[in-house]
Amino acid sequence: MAIQSPAGVGSGPRPRVLAWAHHHRQAAAASVEKLIREPVSNALTVLVIAIALALPTFALTLASAVTQEISQLDAPPQLSVLTDPALIYDDAVILAEKIERQPGVASVKIIDRDTALKEFINATGLDALSSRLASNPLPHTLWLYPSSNIRAAGLEQLSQDLTALPGVSEVILDSRWLERLEAFIALARSVAIALGVAMALGVVLTLGNTLRLGIESRREEIVVIKLIGGGNAFARRPFLYTGVLIGALGGLVAAVLILIALETLTVPISQLFELYDRSAAVSVFGLLDVIGLLVVGATLGWISACYSVQLHLARIQPR
Amino acid sequence: MDIVFDRVGKRFDQRDALIDLSFSMASGEMAFLTGHSGAGKSTLLRLLLLLDRASSGEVRVNGRPLSKIRESGIGAYRRDFGVIFQDHKLLFDRSVFHNVALPLEIAGFTKRDIDRRVRAALDKVGLLDRERASPEMLSGGEQQRVGIARAVVARPKILIADEPTGNLDPQLSAEIMGLFAAFNSVGVTVIVASHDLALISRMSQRILTLQEGRLITLSNSLRGDS
Repeated sequence: MAIQSPAGVGSGPRPRVLAWAHHHRQAAAASVEKLIREPVSNALTVLVIAIALALPTFALTLASAVTQEISQLDAPPQLSVLTDPALIYDDAVILAEKIERQPGVASVKIIDRDTALKEFINATGLDALSSRLASNPLPHTLWLYPSSNIRAAGLEQLSQDLTALPGVSEVILDSRWLERLEAFIALARSVAIALGVAMALGVVLTLGNTLRLGIESRREEIVVIKLIGGGNAFARRPFLYTGVLIGALGGLVAAVLILIALETLTVPISQLFELYDRSAAVSVFGLLDVIGLLVVGATLGWISACYSVQLHLARIQPR
Repeated sequence: MDIVFDRVGKRFDQRDALIDLSFSMASGEMAFLTGHSGAGKSTLLRLLLLLDRASSGEVRVNGRPLSKIRESGIGAYRRDFGVIFQDHKLLFDRSVFHNVALPLEIAGFTKRDIDRRVRAALDKVGLLDRERASPEMLSGGEQQRVGIARAVVARPKILIADEPTGNLDPQLSAEIMGLFAAFNSVGVTVIVASHDLALISRMSQRILTLQEGRLITLSNSLRGDS
């Protein structure tokens, strides 16, 4: 297991790089051993970190799942342009071509007034109505599909521009619900991110405190190590490994918690999507996300350990 | 490694712990450091181990002024020393073997080297059969010998012992002093702080006597000042 001393047994310490690598292996092994030696308190710390990581991640996962679904919905005609009732069909076509050249417009479809009336009658079943009407009261309507990259504010501007065009009597912005949903999701995402930042801070403080207790309980050992020639780096290393290990385990448990939560929610979620004629949610939490959580956990653990060690270890000096 | 104290002073708050202290020890020399408690023995050893810095003057080890050694270099500097503490400073959460192995682990020895050297050191202090024991289960004298094994296991160039025979009976004390003399005979510079004058005077080595922070005798040994 040990690296052989290149110059043979009894030749003294290893070359620096090998000694360094060996110290790291030793520190890693020692921190695993310590973790196992106090399973309950370490498991609790891991669980606290896992929950702190899982909550914001879960919220973000749901938010991105919903966003993904929305982007796959057929974009409805988001603007209906009602022409001047006096406008004849040919002029409506010219108007449509003009509008189609506007920035932010993907395509325009003309619904002529006769078709519109027919559809209205079919949809409502008011056959009697057609015979009573002397003339068709509906104007020609242009269904305007905005280009997909346009946002709510852009739509608002577009509808104002269109209203100003000659031949247009009214523009109906059809997107309030989507706008609201998007705003809601954006809000949820911001809250999740803020929650994530607060939780990350919580993780650093919690783990930092756990490590501080570890440092305090091993004060004697640190003093002895320093007395017999171990530098700060040597004394620090096991704590850094413990921090990274607990953090990574926290990330892993967080991933498990999220997967369990998603599994539990699969049935209600697919029922919800079925209401919208959509198949169940696509996979929103994959291997990459698990790895991401691991890395985030380990990084937070490392930061906590650095902070804790910086704060407490240097103060422990042999007296 | 030789040791030079050149007009060294150390002041704590309002009190002078060491005043204008000068002496030198050649490489491979052995000396006793004696004096009443509070005379400055511990302060002198602390300066030598860089647990404290001199307020004035300069300490040089192997020609190197200690004032030039930075915080980050202290670990490496201390690895040239083996130190035996009055209170042993053993770690009770690990076996005798792993206590003795600690300096080798810090220095980065291979596992095989560590096994070999730790056993050799434990053999030297007569505790080879206790390597698996916890230091807690050992008597005071045995704990002191574990401390000695740990101090010599990495073959230091300078051995420092601070009241190593403090609580031991005369026979055990003499045995331990004999061990120090044996290390000295293979070229290790040895400094032993002790107030056990009866024992010291029998050892016929150089004696440095401190009184209120000053060196009052360089030597009263039979061999004379070296």
